Amino acid sequence: MKSSKKQEMSDNQGDDLAHRVLNDIKASSDLGLLRCVQCGLCTSMCPASKHSDYDAREIIKRVLDGDESIIQDEIIWNCFYCYTCQSVCPVGNSVCQVTQILRQMAIDEDVGKQKIESFISFADNYIKEGLGSIPREYHGQLKIDYGQHWENLQENLEEVREQLGLDSMYLLPEAKKSIDKTLDAIGFKKRVQEIKDVRNR
Amino acid sequence: MSDEKIGVFLCHCGGNISDNVDLDYVESELLKGDDVCVVRHHENLCSLEGKNIIKDQILREKLDKVVIAACSKITHGNTFQNYIQPLNPYLFEMPNIREQCSWVTENRDESTVKALSLINSSVESVKHNEPLKKIPTKVKNSVLVVGAGISGITVANSLAKQGMEVTLIEKRPAVGGAMIQVGKVFTPGKLSEDCAACLLNPVIDEMVRNEKITLLTNTVLESSTRNSGNFDVILRKKPDYINPEKCTSCGKCTEVCPTYAPDEWNEGLTDRKAIYKPFPQAVPSQYTLDDESCIRCGKCIDVCPTKAINLDAIDEIISLTVGSVVVATGHQRYDTAKRPEYGHPFYEDVLSQMQLARLMGVNGPTNGHLVVPSTGKVPRRVVMIQCVGSRDQMPDGHKYCSKVCCMIATKNANLIHSHYPDTEVIICYTDIRTPGEYEKYYKYVQENGVKYIRGRPGEVARVDDHMVVRLEDTLTKTKKEIHTDLVVLSAALEASEGTMEAAKVLGIPLTEDKFIKEKHPKMQPVSTDIEGIFVCGTAQGPKDITESIIQANTASTKISELVNGGLEVEPFIASVNVKKCVLCGKCIDNCRYQALSMHNQSIRVGPIACTGCGDCIVTCPQEAISILGQSDEKLEASIKGMLKNKNPGEQIIIAFLDDIGNVSANNMGINRVECPSSVRIINVPFINRVKYRHVKYALTHGADGVFLGEYPDNARHNEIRENVLVMKRHLKEDGINPDRLLIHGVFIPYFRGLASQFKEFDDELRLLNEA
Repeated sequence: MKSSKKQEMSDNQGDDLAHRVLNDIKASSDLGLLRCVQCGLCTSMCPASKHSDYDAREIIKRVLDGDESIIQDEIIWNCFYCYTCQSVCPVGNSVCQVTQILRQMAIDEDVGKQKIESFISFADNYIKEGLGSIPREYHGQLKIDYGQHWENLQENLEEVREQLGLDSMYLLPEAKKSIDKTLDAIGFKKRVQEIKDVRNR
Repeated sequence: MSDEKIGVFLCHCGGNISDNVDLDYVESELLKGDDVCVVRHHENLCSLEGKNIIKDQILREKLDKVVIAACSKITHGNTFQNYIQPLNPYLFEMPNIREQCSWVTENRDESTVKALSLINSSVESVKHNEPLKKIPTKVKNSVLVVGAGISGITVANSLAKQGMEVTLIEKRPAVGGAMIQVGKVFTPGKLSEDCAACLLNPVIDEMVRNEKITLLTNTVLESSTRNSGNFDVILRKKPDYINPEKCTSCGKCTEVCPTYAPDEWNEGLTDRKAIYKPFPQAVPSQYTLDDESCIRCGKCIDVCPTKAINLDAIDEIISLTVGSVVVATGHQRYDTAKRPEYGHPFYEDVLSQMQLARLMGVNGPTNGHLVVPSTGKVPRRVVMIQCVGSRDQMPDGHKYCSKVCCMIATKNANLIHSHYPDTEVIICYTDIRTPGEYEKYYKYVQENGVKYIRGRPGEVARVDDHMVVRLEDTLTKTKKEIHTDLVVLSAALEASEGTMEAAKVLGIPLTEDKFIKEKHPKMQPVSTDIEGIFVCGTAQGPKDITESIIQANTASTKISELVNGGLEVEPFIASVNVKKCVLCGKCIDNCRYQALSMHNQSIRVGPIACTGCGDCIVTCPQEAISILGQSDEKLEASIKGMLKNKNPGEQIIIAFLDDIGNVSANNMGINRVECPSSVRIINVPFINRVKYRHVKYALTHGADGVFLGEYPDNARHNEIRENVLVMKRHLKEDGINPDRLLIHGVFIPYFRGLASQFKEFDDELRLLNEA
C-alpha cells in the first residue's frame, strides 16, 4: 500500500514546469519554489518590476501554474540579475534563478537564441582573441556615453600602457591556441554557430 | 524459588478460547513438569464463580504464585489482580491466549501449541515476580510560579484559592507583563476595544490580597535541584535600594535624579530617571532604582523625607522547597533592527506595534494623543506591515506565524480610525489570520474603512518629510509606493530571554523555536518532560490573552491533581542496588525526567518522576539498577519458557512489543486478523528494555527470529534504532544472521499492517532456514 502511494506521488513529479525548473542543474538544492505563497515581497523590491511590466511574483505564479507560454514570453528577458529577490525572499525562493532557468529553456528553442543573438559579437571576439573585450560595433555608443576622454584613451592606449611599463594586453600565441582548443572541446564554438544559424535562417 | 508452588488457571472464555485450543492437552502437558502443581479450567474465570475457584485453590493448595491464561491484561488484569487475594497483587502473570492466540490462529493444533508456549513463558517468568506495593506519593503543597504576567498571576490565583502556598516571582519591578502595557484589548463579541488595565487590575488585586501568595518582584530563579519529587530552588532578589516599608511614593527622589535612561514602559519612546516608578499604576506601587544607570551621586538620599534609600543594599538569596514549578516567563518582541530594510529604529517615524500601543495609551508619553514623532502632528496616513520576523525562513527570522499580530494590527488600526477618522490606515498583510469569531471583528474593522492590501513590503524609505512603503498589491497585480506619515511594524513574538534562562535552570527542553517544549503538543499541552514542572502562556508559544488564561488554569488543575489526587503509582520504577552502586552519578545526569537524585551518599528514585523507561539501566556501568518487577532475568525467563516445548520443524518468532504494539496485536485478535502461529508476543514497557543478551539468548535457544515492535513517537526513538544496528553487528560477530532481528514501527490503528509484517518476517525466516 505504502509503495504504491509513493509511486503515485512520484508519477506526477518531474514533468510539470515547476519540477523541471527545480530539477534543473542551475537550481539551488533547497530552492523554495514550491514554498512560495505569493506574498509579493520580491516584486516590491525588484528594480525590473519597478520600471517595466516584469513582475517577479507573477513569474513564479506562472511557473507554478504550469504556464508553458512563459518560456516564449519576452518578459523573462527583463530581469538583470541583481539577486535582490533572492536576498529578501522569506521562503528561500529565487525568482532570479528561476528566470535564468526559463531563459536557458528558451535558448534550447529558437526564441531564446534570437534573444541572445545580439551578444554574438562578444563571443566572436572571445574566439578570436581568447579574452573578453568590447566588440568594435559598441564603441560608437561608448563614445556617446563616456565622451571624448574615452575615445582619446582608446586611441592612445598602447602608448599609455607602454609609459606605465605594462606588458601587452594580448595573449601569447600558445595561450590563444589552448583557449581555442578549449572552446572547441567544451562546445562553445558549436553553440555560437547554432545561434548564428537561427539568425541566418 | 524452585520450591514455590505455582497454580495455572485456564479460561474457556465461553468457547472463545476452548473452541480453538485443546485445553485438556495443555493441562496434561503443564502437569508433566514439576513447575506447576495445580491446573484448573473454568468456563469464565472472570465471573464470581471463577473468583471463588481461584481463591479456593490458592488457600487449599497454599499456592505462592499464579498464572491465569485468559484474555488480555488490558481487559481483565485488574479483575484478576483482585481475585488472587490473599496473594500480593503482583504475584501473577497473565498469558494472553485469546486475542493473541485463539482469535488469530486458524489451525487448532497450531493454536494449541502456541497457547502452551505462551503459558510456559508466564510460568517461567512468574518465578521472578516479587511482592510489590503501589507507591503512595505526596507532593508538597507549595508552588513556585516564574513570571507575573497574566498567565503567572492567573495560575497563582487559582492555586492559592485551592489552598496552596504560592511564591510568584517577577524579574521586572512591576507585575502585569505585556497585557498591562498594551493599553487596549479587543472584545470580538462586542466588537469593541476595552481597557486592558481595567480587566487586569482586579486579577492583580486578587493576587496581592491573597495571603497564600508571596509576590517577589526584581527576582529571578537562580538554581533548582530535584529532590525526591520536590524542587529545592534558590531565588535571587535584587537589592531593595528603596525600603518599601518607608517609601511614601512622594517622588522627590525622581525630581533630583540627574541620570536618564530609556523608559522600558514606553518602549524607549521616552526617557526616565535612574530612580523612578515604572508607571503610575504599577504594582507593587513603589519606587525602584535601576542600578545599571545610577551614578551613586546620593542626591536622592539627601531629599528623601523618610530616609528610605540605601544605595549599599545587597542582593537577597532566598531558598525554598516546592512541589511544583510553573514556567510563565512569557515572550519578547522580535528585534526589528534585524530587518534594517524596514528602517526601525533609524527613522523615528517607524514604530513597532507595542510602541504604537504606548503612544495611544492614556498613561503613555503623549497621554494618548497619536502624533508623528518627527513632526508632532496627527498622521494623515498610517501603514502597518505584518509578519516582521514571522513566517520567515531567513536567518534570524522565525518560521512560525506569531498568531496574534493580525488581531493586534486590526485592533490598533480600528483605534486610530475611531479616534482620528481623517487618518487613513492601511494594513499590508501576507494572509490575514483571524480564526474563529475574530473574523467577525476583522470584517467589522474592514467595513469601518481600514484598508487591507495583500502584499509584503520589501522596504521602507524616507522621502522628503515622510515615509514611503513599496509593495505590490498581489491581488490586483499593481505595484504601489504608499506615501505615509507613520509606519508600524508587527514584530513577531519570540521566546523571551527569561524563558530560555528558566528552561536552562530547570533542565526542561525547548522546541526548535526556543519555546518551552510541552510533553505532548496535543494531549499534554501544559506538562513538560519533567513531572512537576508545568508551562503556560507565551512561554510555550505565541498565543493571545484568552488562550494564555485557559492554559494557566489548565496548569493549575494539573498541579491540583498532583497535590490532591492522593497519588498511588505503579511500583515499576528503578531501584538501585546499594551494594553495587559506586555513586558515579551517570544515571542522574542521563535521566531526562530528573527522577534520580543523590541523597546522603545514596541514589534516590522519585516515584512520580520515574517512568520505568530503563534508560538508567543501560547507562549504569555497575549494573546496579533494575526496574522493579522487570528484571533482566525475568525477561530471559519468559523467553526460556516460550521456547521450552519447541517441536522439531516448528518456527518461533519472539516478538517484543511495547504497550502500543501490544494493543495493536490485541486489535488483530479483536478483528480476527490471521497471524502466523510462530509469533509469540512478550509485552515490554519500553523497547530499550530488551538488551542484546536477550536477543542473543532467544536466537541461540531455539527462536528463529526476534521482532521488535516500537511506537516511533518516543523520546528514545533514534537511540533505539541506532542500538538495533549495533545489535545486528554483534549478531554478525557471534555468527548469527543479523536478518533474524527486525525492528518495525507499530501504531494502534494499523494492526493489519502489523499482521502483514509478521507474515512477511515469518516467510523470510522460512527461506533463511531452508537456505
